[in-house]
Amino acid sequence: MDLTVGRFLRFLVGIFFIVVIGWLLYSLRQIITILIIATLIAYILDPVASYLESKGISRILATTIIFVSIFLILIVGGWLLIPGLFNELFALQNRLAVSGTDDFVTAIETFIKNKITFIDVETLNLKEKIDSIMAGFSDELLAILGNAFSIISVIVIIPFIVFFLLKDGRNMKKLFISYIPNRYFEMTLNVLHKIDQQLGGYLRGQFTEASVVGALSVIALWLLDVPYFTLIGVFAGLANMIPYVGPVAGAVPAIVVTLVNGGDFTRIIYIVTAFAIVQLIDNIVLQPMVLSKSVNLHPLIIVLAILIGGSFFGLLGMLLAVPAAGIIKVTSSELYNGIKKFRII
Amino acid sequence: MDEDTMWGNIFHKETKGEQSIYSVLSKIPIFKDLNKKELKAIERILHRRNYKTNEVIFHEGDPGVGMYIIENGKVNITLGKEQKLLAALSNGEFFGEMALLSETPRTATATAAADTRMLGFFQSDLFGLLETNPRRGNKILHRLAQMIVDRLRFSNLENQQLKLKIVELEEKISTKKVS
Repeated sequence: MDLTVGRFLRFLVGIFFIVVIGWLLYSLRQIITILIIATLIAYILDPVASYLESKGISRILATTIIFVSIFLILIVGGWLLIPGLFNELFALQNRLAVSGTDDFVTAIETFIKNKITFIDVETLNLKEKIDSIMAGFSDELLAILGNAFSIISVIVIIPFIVFFLLKDGRNMKKLFISYIPNRYFEMTLNVLHKIDQQLGGYLRGQFTEASVVGALSVIALWLLDVPYFTLIGVFAGLANMIPYVGPVAGAVPAIVVTLVNGGDFTRIIYIVTAFAIVQLIDNIVLQPMVLSKSVNLHPLIIVLAILIGGSFFGLLGMLLAVPAAGIIKVTSSELYNGIKKFRII
Repeated sequence: MDEDTMWGNIFHKETKGEQSIYSVLSKIPIFKDLNKKELKAIERILHRRNYKTNEVIFHEGDPGVGMYIIENGKVNITLGKEQKLLAALSNGEFFGEMALLSETPRTATATAAADTRMLGFFQSDLFGLLETNPRRGNKILHRLAQMIVDRLRFSNLENQQLKLKIVELEEKISTKKVS
């Protein structure tokens, strides 16, 4: 009897702790988001620091060099990209809010009236629907850049955390490992090493691929004189992380924007060709180099992850869902393997 | 006691009593090529672990993750359920270095025979070192390879002697049968 009461009490205490931890995580979610993003950036930059270190530079100097370089790149890049990006976002919102899609929608409506006579155009109310979708889309993008974590945290706190994680990350990991009890010590070491080996390649691959595809898309769209080329290019780079759908999802906004602005069929062909070339470069040159597909997530899992990410964190959640699913998969499978191999349970 | 080729420390004997970490490390074969400054850097990488008497360090069959250096204390290396003693190691001695190269299962169990303070050097540390400081990493790797060559030669010699003994015994048996 005592045993059952004791067990029940322990169960209650367990539930209580889970609830408390859940509540803490939920109320601290903004800080946790910042921490996760900083950790990811530090993790992606780690091999660069190690490379500099292998050339005989101290870790702190290597970290400083990386920071100064990134700062310079951001200043130069920001000079070129950021004002454009913000202008584009605001313009997109205002235009759509006022009258943006009129011509395009009228064209579609006329098309439907003439060719598909059995559909009642008036009840479709196409214009309103498209307007609200596009406005919602740019709202979300603005929210990502503005509200989700304030500009101050992006400019000050994240670089601050990244700097120290990059400089002292190894010592922090060692300190963490030193607190692991002897019984689980070797397993922890083994599992952490395995996760690092798999995730390192995967995350750096995803990041490199997204940046290169994004940059190539921006250049291609700029050459083709597509409006909002920075915005669409950045989106295409991020969307590229989603297998199968990503590359198409990247091209769709470019086509829609061109159509809205009265572009003709030849321009659409140009855009599609440009995206096809970017995809070709990605598939032939980048992917074999970056090993980004090494985690092997099932397409169904990816779709599910994107839906879950979207419902929790909106557009940002959808874009980060694929790497997040990769992290969860590698971590859980390596943890499971470790527990099994070391016969912990 | 006859020491096992794999587990007994055939390279380095008789270092008893308290020693500084630096002097312990400088006597470990894989760190022999490193100068004082490099040893200091290695010391920062090593994991410090404390084990109580009879606490198991690793079990036979566990995946190998790396080597341990006994800073202070005693460790018994045993085989099987009957715990056949393969080697009794103490201050300044080391074990498990093969796991630095290959993650094959541990071939014996290591247990602390007294309260023991150890330094751990693991595969992930070696890989990290090869990445951040290839010169240092290569010195260690080279020594490790030499050590394994020495051990292989030692094993081969032992093997040859055993084969000779078997042949001798077989001859004796056959002559006895004939007579």
